[in-house]
Order: sequence, then structure tokens, then C-alpha cells
Amino acid sequence: MGEPAGARDAGGGAIVTEDHRISRRTALITLSALGVAAAGGLAAMPGTAWAQALGQNESVEDAMKRLFGGKPMRDGAASVKLDVPLIAENGAVVPISVSVDSPMTPTNYVKHIYVVADKNRIPVVTRVTLSPEAGRAFMGANIRLGESGDVRAIVEQSDGSLLAVKREVKVTVGGCGG
Amino acid sequence: MSDIGKVRLRVPSSIKAGDVVQVRALVIHPMERIERDAQGKIVQKNYNYINKVIVTYLGKTVATFDTTQNVAENPFFTFTFKATDPGQLKVQFLDTTGGRYEGIADIKFS
Repeated sequence: MGEPAGARDAGGGAIVTEDHRISRRTALITLSALGVAAAGGLAAMPGTAWAQALGQNESVEDAMKRLFGGKPMRDGAASVKLDVPLIAENGAVVPISVSVDSPMTPTNYVKHIYVVADKNRIPVVTRVTLSPEAGRAFMGANIRLGESGDVRAIVEQSDGSLLAVKREVKVTVGGCGG
Repeated sequence: MSDIGKVRLRVPSSIKAGDVVQVRALVIHPMERIERDAQGKIVQKNYNYINKVIVTYLGKTVATFDTTQNVAENPFFTFTFKATDPGQLKVQFLDTTGGRYEGIADIKFS
């Protein structure tokens, strides 16, 4: 008599566990779906707004004024290294990298690196936001250049000071189409 | 064009704890450029290009790129991060049509 009862008990126990497992899985799926949806909404909206504000058809002077106001800029040649080819054969793909000497500690780090191409119709190419966890102030990307002209890198440090470097790039074939 | 949104991350093969690691992230994307009509006026439409790249490591944002159409087709971005603990490095690309592409690399120490 004892044996069947025990078996039934075990069976009952297994069913309970199964139930529990399913409900937990459903709960997890629901939770993660909610999380993804929330993150998506948060990340996508300011991103779009920013890019539209960032990339405007304007002169480089206007762009600089809009981004930095009238803040003074120091020459950053000593600490900022802008690496871009002197002659870009194909303006559609120009590799560029910017690295900055910075301790990258929570109190003293590079907050933003801007890349601006003077002769492009939309001068602002990219704005990189870094956090101290990056370890090193560095960014690299492939950009487009419409025609020969200066390429600038503007570095904003955590204390708000700005460093600027620029270099002229000769472009053989423009890469911005319109 | 079916390749749009393919993400490749290139992480060094051996990483030690505390290293500053340089990563290259590549995404296949057309990055539409601005079109102009015969008069030189910009054609108004929603251009499909990547406008944000978010790099997270262990759930914390390490770097964000806000980009415009001046970034080349099939763009690659290089960035660094400080490898403190084993965990997940995630790079997300967002484009103007609501597309969302991501690449994940597991950071392990050797």
C-alpha cells in the first residue's frame, strides 16, 4: 500500500515542479520583452532627434558656433593625434582615427570627440561620447569627404575645455555624391 | 541587400584582465547619402542611415557614436574599452528607419 502512494506523491511532485518551471519561464520571457521594448524606445528617440540636429546643411562656421557657442579652443597638437591620410584617393571611404592623451579617470577624461569635415555640405561627421571605462580616448571610423579640405577633430574634456586639431586632406574623387 | 544589418566584431584573441582593448565593429549598411534634384535642392525624404552606435560592456555604456550621413557605406567603428571582468561586450547600431542591429562578443581572459 505504501508503495503506490509514494509513487503518486512523486508524480504529483513532478507535476508541481513542471508547473512552476513553466510559469517562471513565461514570467522571464514577459519581463525580458518588456525590458527590450523599454530600452528600444528610450534609445531610439533621442538618437534620431540628435542626429537630425547634428547633421545640418550649413557652413562649417555655423556648425562650430552651434555646437560650441563661442567657447575658446586651444590648439591640441600636443595631446591630440588625428590620423587621416594626406591624400584620399576615394572620398567615399576615408579611414580616420583620433586618439587623445588623457588619463581617463572619472575626474579627468575626454567626454566628446567631434569630427568635422570643413568642405562637406553637412560638416559634422560624428560625435563620440566616451566614458572613463573606455580606458583610452580613442575613436576610429570610415568617413566620406566631398572634396579636398580641412578635417578637424575637436576634443571636449570633462572640465569643458576644448582642444582642436586640423589637417588638410586632398581628395581625388569626392565621396558625398550630392 | 539582404545583408543589411550584419554586424562583425573583431576582438583581440588574447585579453588579460585590466587591458585596454581595441575593438573594430563593422556593420553592413547602405548609409544613404543626400540626393539633390537638378536645381541642387535636397530631396526631402527619410534617408536610411545609421545615426547612433552604442557600445556597452557589462551593461554599462562605454562609448556612443552619433553619426551623420558623412560616415561611409558599410561603416566600421573602432573604440577601446578597459577589460575589467569577463562578460559581454555589446555593440548596437540604430538607423533612421528604426532598424536595430547588434553584435555581441564574449570577453574572456586567457
